[in-house]
Amino acid sequence: MISVALIAFAGFAVLCLAMDRHFSELLGRKPGPGQLRLLRCAGWLLLALSLAIAMHLRGWAHGLVEWIAVSMAGVTLWVFGMPYQPRLLLGLAAISLVLGPALVVVR
Amino acid sequence: MKEGFRQAMAWLHTWTGLIFGWLLFAIFLTGTLSYFKDEISHWTQPEVRRHALDPVASLGLAQRYLEANAGHAESWMIRLPNAREAALEVSWREPGSGRRGGVSKPLDAHTGQPVEVRDSRGGEFFYRFHFQLQMPHPWGRWLATFCAFIMLLGLVTGIITHKKIFKEFFTFRPGKGQRSWLDGHNAIGVLVLPFHLMISYSSLVIFMYMVMPASIMASYGGSTEGYFNDLFGREEVPKVANAAAPLVPLASLYAQVQQQVPGAAMGYVQVYNPGDRNARVSFTQAAADSIAYQRSATWMFDGATGQLLTQGAPESATMMTAFSVVGLHMGNFAGPWLRWLYFVFGIAGTAVIGTGLVMWLGKRQLKHAKRERLPGELRLVEVLNIAGMSGLLLAVAGFFWANRLLPMAWSGRADWEVNSFFLVWLAALVHAVLRPGRKAWGEQLALGALAFALLPLLNGLTTGQGLNHSLVAGDWAMAGFDLTALGTGLFLAWAAGKMLRAPKSRAKRAPGAPKATIDSAEVSG
Repeated sequence: MISVALIAFAGFAVLCLAMDRHFSELLGRKPGPGQLRLLRCAGWLLLALSLAIAMHLRGWAHGLVEWIAVSMAGVTLWVFGMPYQPRLLLGLAAISLVLGPALVVVR
Repeated sequence: MKEGFRQAMAWLHTWTGLIFGWLLFAIFLTGTLSYFKDEISHWTQPEVRRHALDPVASLGLAQRYLEANAGHAESWMIRLPNAREAALEVSWREPGSGRRGGVSKPLDAHTGQPVEVRDSRGGEFFYRFHFQLQMPHPWGRWLATFCAFIMLLGLVTGIITHKKIFKEFFTFRPGKGQRSWLDGHNAIGVLVLPFHLMISYSSLVIFMYMVMPASIMASYGGSTEGYFNDLFGREEVPKVANAAAPLVPLASLYAQVQQQVPGAAMGYVQVYNPGDRNARVSFTQAAADSIAYQRSATWMFDGATGQLLTQGAPESATMMTAFSVVGLHMGNFAGPWLRWLYFVFGIAGTAVIGTGLVMWLGKRQLKHAKRERLPGELRLVEVLNIAGMSGLLLAVAGFFWANRLLPMAWSGRADWEVNSFFLVWLAALVHAVLRPGRKAWGEQLALGALAFALLPLLNGLTTGQGLNHSLVAGDWAMAGFDLTALGTGLFLAWAAGKMLRAPKSRAKRAPGAPKATIDSAEVSG
């Protein structure tokens, strides 16, 4: 379930970056053309992927419940941590993006 | 026209939120505590020791104890120890003692001997308060259910009022006074919305038989008992034959169930007419095994022959839906990490209500920032905010302190723990009336910080099961309680520090800062 949590966390981070204001605030530059759309697609894909993995690992009932739980926890951490530790959270999101799928493969 | 609608919803959100806010805060906080009901009970009754789980041995011990001490009872009930509850709980009903009368004893899961525990309601108190509000039956349930309806209404009206739900989905701007409070209120409300919606809707489902009884009355007349018997698939048990027949070893029946459903954990075992030819034994699967309550997961045996008679009736799709919704609310299925998330989301729900109450006052106080004292109605809200939030936290701490400090042999000890809870709450109300707003907040939070942070020390001194013991012994329920109390204490100390520190120059924070608004409260005291 850690892998699901990490991928969902990365998904929300990417979705956040897909918003103009957050992109420039967090990365310190203006998004290039088409970049936001790409990020938005990637974010939704990551969320869908984490849900699929959760359901695969835990069955649809537990999978759905646990996916909602870890996603809510992840996005809450992201939103309330961002004003205080933006760089740390960006780093965490990047690590999650790598570690999450890696954990799925290793299983 | 659209703006008019949104304004109407905002009005509804504001005023129902204010009137029911304090009650909802208490319901959410005690409900959140109830996710750790068993762990709290373990802390409040530290005499019960934890052992490795061995259901077969436990059943044997329980049967031996009950045969020796309750041979003539009408029925027995055995609750097997599980990962969260250490005791092997046995209870029985003497013939003719009625539905409610019964004796209950916690046994040590290793020796099978009764454990002398201190009289305490433990987690059960917070759990009951959560939906009965310490009111006579059925009024507390009605009020709590109505509050659930208001919460659901608050969520829906809140979503309608919130203009930029997607645009500001990831937005939290701290250090900006009133703006930050609104951001926080919105963000916790929106990000944890699935939990909030689930919890308030499922509360209505739990008590739907009470709220919308028409269909039950139409089919079952005045008796809801028939409805529940059908719903839960309760079996008729034959009368006593008055012919002695030894009860088969319960462990052998347990083995039969394990053959059918390998690895199923058993929640409790009931024995009717023990020692009689018409003895019946029913096994019920532990609630931790599935999200929904499963009436099919029960097995009824003939207690004299050991033959499997019936298995619980399968659920219809409708039943499954309702049972799942209820199961999600209770969270019995949740393992340790999911239980912690339930706890965190419960606190989030409590925080949404708390921030709402603070904002209601903050906004209105601004208009009176220059005046000597607050108008009476705002002062009333301020006092209720303080007593309803920090006062309630003090009351919770008071309950735990009473649990450790009241003499063990006192009769009515458990009642006095509950009385302590309400007396501390009352004292907090009086304190909030007497002290100016900001000071009252600060002092109560500071006292709360001390009361919670010192609980682990108090536990160690009075029971010898402090953190130095529980962490080494791997008693995670005990250690988790102490560490959570310590964490709560630190959080309250941080909050108290913010309140007690002299607010920075007013000019700097002037427009819309809650600090400035609380200044005015200080003057008003």
